[in-house]
Amino acid sequence: MQIRFVLAALRKHRLATFLIALQISLACAVLCNACFLIVQQVHAMRIDSGVDEARLGTVKLSGFDPKSANDFNARVVDALRHVDGVQSVSVISGVPFGEPGVRAGIGLDPDYKQFGGVIDFYLGDDHAAHDFGLHLISGRMPSPDDYMPVTKFVPSNAPVLITRTLAEHLWPGQNPLGKQFWGLDTQFRVIGVLDHLSVSQPGGSEAKDPDWSVFVPAIAGPNLAGKYLIRAQPNDMPRVMREAREAALKAAPDAVLDTDQSHSLSRLRHSYFESARVMVKLLAGVVVALLGTTALGIVGLASFWVTQRRKQIGTRRALGATRGDILRYFQIENFIIVSFGILLGMLLAYGLSLELMRSYEVPRLPFGYMPIGAAALWILGQLAVLVPALRASAITPVEAIRTL
Amino acid sequence: MFAYYVKVALHNTQRNKVLAALMVLAIAVGIGASMTTLTVMHLLSGDPLPGRSQHIYYPQIDVNPQSKGREPLDMLDYRTAMDLWSSDKADQQALVANSMVKVRTPYSTRPALMLPMVSTTSDFFSMFDVPFRYGQAWSKSDDASRTRVAVISSRLNDKLFGGRNSVGKTLRLADSDVRIIGVLDAWRPSPLFYKVRGGRFTDGDTSAFYKKTDDVFMPFAASLEVNAGNFQAFTCWSAPDPNEDLRNAPCVWVALWARLNSAAKVNAYRSYLQNYADQQKAAGRIKYADDIRLRSLMQWLDFNRVVPSNVKLQTALAFSFLLICLTNVVGLLLAKFLRHSGEIGLRRALGATRTAVFFQCLIESAIIGLLGGLGGLLLTLFGLYLVRLQPVAYADLAHMDVSMFLVTFALALATSLLAGALPALRASLTPTALQLKLL
Amino acid sequence: MLEMRDMSKIFRTEQVETHALRSFDLHVREGEFVTVTGPSGSGKTTFLNIAGLLDTFSTGAYVLDGQDVSDLDDYARSKLRNRKIGFIFQGFNLLPDLNLFDNLDVPLCYRRLKRAERHQRINDALARVGLASRMKHYPSQLSGGQQQRAAIARALAGHPRLLLADEPTGNLDSQMALEVMDLLQDINRAGSTIVMVTHDPNLASRAQRNVHIVDGRVAEDPADGTIRPRPVEGTA
Ligand SMILES: Nc1ncnc2c1ncn2[C@@H]1O[C@H](COP(=O)(O)OP(=O)(O)OP(=O)(O)O)[C@@H](O)[C@H]1O
Ligand SMILES: [Mg+2]
Repeated sequence: MQIRFVLAALRKHRLATFLIALQISLACAVLCNACFLIVQQVHAMRIDSGVDEARLGTVKLSGFDPKSANDFNARVVDALRHVDGVQSVSVISGVPFGEPGVRAGIGLDPDYKQFGGVIDFYLGDDHAAHDFGLHLISGRMPSPDDYMPVTKFVPSNAPVLITRTLAEHLWPGQNPLGKQFWGLDTQFRVIGVLDHLSVSQPGGSEAKDPDWSVFVPAIAGPNLAGKYLIRAQPNDMPRVMREAREAALKAAPDAVLDTDQSHSLSRLRHSYFESARVMVKLLAGVVVALLGTTALGIVGLASFWVTQRRKQIGTRRALGATRGDILRYFQIENFIIVSFGILLGMLLAYGLSLELMRSYEVPRLPFGYMPIGAAALWILGQLAVLVPALRASAITPVEAIRTL
Repeated sequence: MFAYYVKVALHNTQRNKVLAALMVLAIAVGIGASMTTLTVMHLLSGDPLPGRSQHIYYPQIDVNPQSKGREPLDMLDYRTAMDLWSSDKADQQALVANSMVKVRTPYSTRPALMLPMVSTTSDFFSMFDVPFRYGQAWSKSDDASRTRVAVISSRLNDKLFGGRNSVGKTLRLADSDVRIIGVLDAWRPSPLFYKVRGGRFTDGDTSAFYKKTDDVFMPFAASLEVNAGNFQAFTCWSAPDPNEDLRNAPCVWVALWARLNSAAKVNAYRSYLQNYADQQKAAGRIKYADDIRLRSLMQWLDFNRVVPSNVKLQTALAFSFLLICLTNVVGLLLAKFLRHSGEIGLRRALGATRTAVFFQCLIESAIIGLLGGLGGLLLTLFGLYLVRLQPVAYADLAHMDVSMFLVTFALALATSLLAGALPALRASLTPTALQLKLL
Repeated sequence: MLEMRDMSKIFRTEQVETHALRSFDLHVREGEFVTVTGPSGSGKTTFLNIAGLLDTFSTGAYVLDGQDVSDLDDYARSKLRNRKIGFIFQGFNLLPDLNLFDNLDVPLCYRRLKRAERHQRINDALARVGLASRMKHYPSQLSGGQQQRAAIARALAGHPRLLLADEPTGNLDSQMALEVMDLLQDINRAGSTIVMVTHDPNLASRAQRNVHIVDGRVAEDPADGTIRPRPVEGTA
């Protein structure tokens, strides 16, 4: 019933109405995109690395003579195995969330005519596949004679475990078992498919998907030395890691312990996503500040309109409007303005998203975020206008008589 | 007259404290957010070698025999780099390769450290205007004779020698003894330009370009002997033998920086590069001779998109936020001025000109703006403090400088005047009779 | 129609208590045209506000159209006001954001009347006060007299049983005032009870009954023959 009057009155205050609507629309645009970015970052942080993170830790040593690598490996592995609580130790080339390991472009034919993308290679000795806790979904785990010495960066003609995602990318709809691909001057043969195995730097490397990696069985030696995977009980992890670092240094006094990399995988994961977490907090801060400012703006302007319209409100009351009518008048007014703002905001949100896509390598805003942003602003608007509207409804009809 | 305007404006501002506070708050928060990010942006996108960068160039040649004629690789292979360097065509030039080196001292039993080392040539220090605290750089003859000397960072000097003059002392690098010849003073170029490369493959996560300077600097040729086997290729066009010397590997891992003092020199160097490429093509070593590049330092930084995309995104967010605060303030100012419209009408009826009313309103907005700017400045300082707490490579750089201090107020004032202009116009243009009727 | 017995209204502020009405008795019958006069500050507007359910009273009883309204809550009072009472305010009180048509429409909408009926009533009322051609004008585009007539039209459109007017001619010249008076008398003849506060003795004399208020009390009322001695100025 009152909508007509609300609209008529708003038409008289076009500029002020437009300004609030504009503010709402900007808020809507930023809100939708910020929420989307938050969800994306959170989603990226939730990545399944495919390994038994809670039970794993890694120790990295450098500065030793590669010629004595075999002896070095044997000494360190032995020392680590003797640390109380260590269940198993293996020699590896890298871990998820650690520094980049072996990474190379691969092809589906020896001449690389069909480029397969840039992927991560995880090399590990005969304990590693088990220690990592890799989850095989088809094919088989490497058998003892699949382990071969590393010639260049990988063993030549190696059998590999491939992730489901990568297999589906390379050979869509086909059974990847037995398939071959080429890279690093050699060829690889798929013997098993893994559920997940994330690249070492998910979201940060050239890999188009964080699951583009393979596990290559290898024998420790000059080209596979210095990085060790430790498996222990999760609740034991902090102590085990502390003692493992000491034990490794004691076993190899002339080597240098990489203090950034030698941690439990949970801790590596935590620091890997540090900047993402900062960004999420920042974005959340922006969202809160945004909603706060918008709410304050609505409260401020609505309060002003209420004060300005005291006499009008009194008159309406004198003419028979109930308190509820007055309350609803302001709520309807707010709803209309916010709706108008949201309409404009959707367009802006979309535009902003296109701009973000162009400049910051962000995917396009899914349409699902728009109704959520809209609902948030509607609720915010109604909450913000409630206090001034209640004040308005408390104005007595006698106000109509008292000139202001 | 102006003093009178200000007096009335101050009075009007005080009349509704809550509203004024709300507007000041909105401006302060908006300014605080945008100035924090803008300051970070300013620090990260600045010139690391002010006054010099325009003469510094980064030559590239497409040495990849498998190149499909795309952008040349970000660094040079050993042979090309040495050829260009030995030709000595630039006013000054320096080779740069990076590695991690094991550092010990014979003076203490502290555990060895793995530290980043720059292998370079003598011009590096004078060309990049690197400040020294003790000693000096090595000479050209040291480059040639592969003298085992090193320049160390002040940070490493503090760590190993407690900040005392360590020139003449011995450092054990990998397994060789090297004599310290110089100690740098505080040097923190932002970004660490001589290590910038591969920016377009980082997916925007370029904060590593803002790390602190390396700890050890050694003559190029000598360092290849000292730290043999520890150099890593930037990229390779076919798999190298990891046991073989990188100098013969099909890999790029050396950068060349050249100082070219005039446009004529730049042109001459460009044609020299072209000639060299043509020759090498004729000799069959490279495939695409036309793919040469000679970017200036700033162009090279731009090409690598050094400013982290997170920072850009934050800046964009902060400015959209400021825009929202701005519309907020416009709305509130409009409400405020229109509320006083009866009074404005009365003033007009008593002879105030339209311009007078307009300026009266603008000055009121400016007062809000200045207060907001003050608040914004405090919030910016707080924001930068928060940035410094973040675990990012550039955290220690986040400080306000004079120019940013001035920009803060300019932005606050501009914001509030912009916000005030529309309502002021509206208030001054409303016909007097109508305003009186509304009284 | 309207019966007040022994009513009092006390305004309390921090420093003083003002007895705006004291032992106020008045009975207005259905269909009467009553004018109310009295010196400034004597309580006329206070009486009108209470009569129109805009304000509450401190003690006493008030029966409106056979219904005791002392204990009604705000909602019921609003509804009653909306259905039975029309107001013509001293300061017009048109809504500045709405045009004339919408101004008249507001109380009718609160009454939830059908669209067709509302239009009919609005057109009739505006035609009656001679403003049919100004339907789309905003209050600020009307002269003082026109605004006053618009305010009357708004009250008219509601077909109120009781019409309360507070100095409806205060802003008009004597010619205009007489026209308004004629209009009100027409309305009265059509069946509405009218109570009108005025300062103008000429107008007061044209009414059937003039009640004079002094110091919050009915001092003269021809209906029950009350003639109280007027108190000496300044003793109140
Ligand atoms: N809200 C209020 N608070 C306190 N005192 C009030 C209030 N409203 C009215 N009064 C006092 O009540 C008395 C009656 O006021 P009222 O407005 O009824 O006078 P009036 O007869 O209408 O006068 P006028 O002819 O000047 O309009 C006055 O003394 C006035 O000061
Ligand atoms: Mg009065």
